[in-house]
Amino acid sequence: MAFSAKQKYLFLAFCLLPTFILFLIFTVYPMLGGLYYSFFEWSGTSANKTFIGLENYIRLWNDSIIKKAIFNDFFFVFVKVLGIMMLSLFFAVALTQLRIKEAPFYRIVFFFPNIMSVVVIGILWQFIYDPNIGIVNSFLNQVGLTEWVRPWLGDKTWVLPSIAIPAIWAGIGLFMLLLMGGISSVPKSLYEAAEIDGASEWQQFWHITVPLIWPQIKTSILYIIITSLNGSFVLVQVMTGGGPGSSSEVMGSYLYQRAFEDFQFGYGAAIGVLILVVSLITVLISQFILKKEKVEY
Amino acid sequence: MKIISQILVRIPLILWAFVVVFPLVWMFMGAFKSNAEIFTSPWALPQTFNFSNFESAWNDYNIGRAFLNSFFVTVLGSLLTLFLSIPTAYALERIRSKLGEVLINVYLASMMIPAVLGWIPLFFLLMKFNLLDNLWALSLVYAISHVPFTIFILIGFIGNVPKELEEAAIVDGMSPYGILFKIVSPLIKSGIMTVTILNAISYWNEFFMALILLQTESKNTLGVAMNLLKVDAQYDSAWGVLFAGLCIAVIPVIIFYTIFQRHIVKGMTEGAIK
Repeated sequence: MAFSAKQKYLFLAFCLLPTFILFLIFTVYPMLGGLYYSFFEWSGTSANKTFIGLENYIRLWNDSIIKKAIFNDFFFVFVKVLGIMMLSLFFAVALTQLRIKEAPFYRIVFFFPNIMSVVVIGILWQFIYDPNIGIVNSFLNQVGLTEWVRPWLGDKTWVLPSIAIPAIWAGIGLFMLLLMGGISSVPKSLYEAAEIDGASEWQQFWHITVPLIWPQIKTSILYIIITSLNGSFVLVQVMTGGGPGSSSEVMGSYLYQRAFEDFQFGYGAAIGVLILVVSLITVLISQFILKKEKVEY
Repeated sequence: MKIISQILVRIPLILWAFVVVFPLVWMFMGAFKSNAEIFTSPWALPQTFNFSNFESAWNDYNIGRAFLNSFFVTVLGSLLTLFLSIPTAYALERIRSKLGEVLINVYLASMMIPAVLGWIPLFFLLMKFNLLDNLWALSLVYAISHVPFTIFILIGFIGNVPKELEEAAIVDGMSPYGILFKIVSPLIKSGIMTVTILNAISYWNEFFMALILLQTESKNTLGVAMNLLKVDAQYDSAWGVLFAGLCIAVIPVIIFYTIFQRHIVKGMTEGAIK
């Protein structure tokens, strides 16, 4: 390099420092702060901030709503991984390998829900399920399935699957694109060779496509898990606010209510820490499981 | 055999296209309907295409104001993200040192940590600086939250820029700043396009940070305003206005995406191969 050492270090500082300082203030500090606040009882005004050690965590341990919330979070993770992966894998294979002329049309349309705001999706689906103006009940009435008509989001048994459907609806496009990228980089010659050997399309799918795009499948599953645990609550908060009762509560919506509606900021912070711990453990376990799968090949 | 499988495979594709498009069509039709029509003929086309619901949403329910606020936050946030990310991505890709590796890993690790964890301290931090209810501060928060993702994508693109070009510029006596802004930045234009489109879409759509950090109605962005509109519309039974509001929030992104979708696909595959 033709630059002097001083020039070089000045330039490096110019490139790295401003961003990193802002990152420390607005990302790192709030995350460490979340951990710190979880040891306090605090209603938001600095006068009544009291250190209570692990009491928030003990309270979490005994809180039946948070148990329900964790269960619901895992319900969403499980249903989303299954639903999104199966559908987007099917669509990705169909749109890359089966020479469908109108494939670009489907590719664009299937991505539409991905660019919509989760609030808008939540509100829209809330009214799709609405007992009075919604199309779900109107459809069931029209085809004579009147015994199926119900207030979907007000029904304790049906509220979770009812929220899971728009969550899957909104997720397909992105993962379909990711998997399509993987499939189009698989060498065509592998399929030609398999065809000569008399392998059926189904066998080709299981023995060529799946193992070769395993990295993309793995990344997608982990990404769905992380975004689901950290983001499902937006849809829940908009569509039901965690109700009826607390039957659709997830960890994030519970944090929002405790902290920003009831002003229990210390307890809210403890829920934040819990979300982090649950996410990390889940990701580690799933990484382990997904790695095992790959070794078999 | 081939013909049958061609037909069979189209059935789920057409079905899913219907499942995706129908709710949007229903919303769009509802925006033109009166309340009575929404109740009595949910499946029918609107009788007349009048825009009074749109006018009412825009003027009486503050969606117009919120639209402009969202536009401001989206543009400012996207620009700030680039100013913060391009130099960092360049330095981290070109200067491979221990410290650089650590920094990359710190940025990457922060993407794994749920943002929810930081909400409460962030709220009080901005309160202390008197920056709550401030669209400039919200833009900055958005920008910094997307810096790790943006750096991660741009590093891949910068890695493809041939070093010889930079060496030639050094010989010509160009400063490192000139190399970064006049040589490297223009060459990674397609990467910049891709991340900016993705960032802009998520800033336009963001809801929870805005809900927590904004307070007065005149500052609301679209997400927050839509949530208020939902409550008001339920109270007033103004369903057509609600659907019109949803359309106002969605139509710009759908147009924006349809124009630029090639860049997203291209950027995602180029980034994925890397």
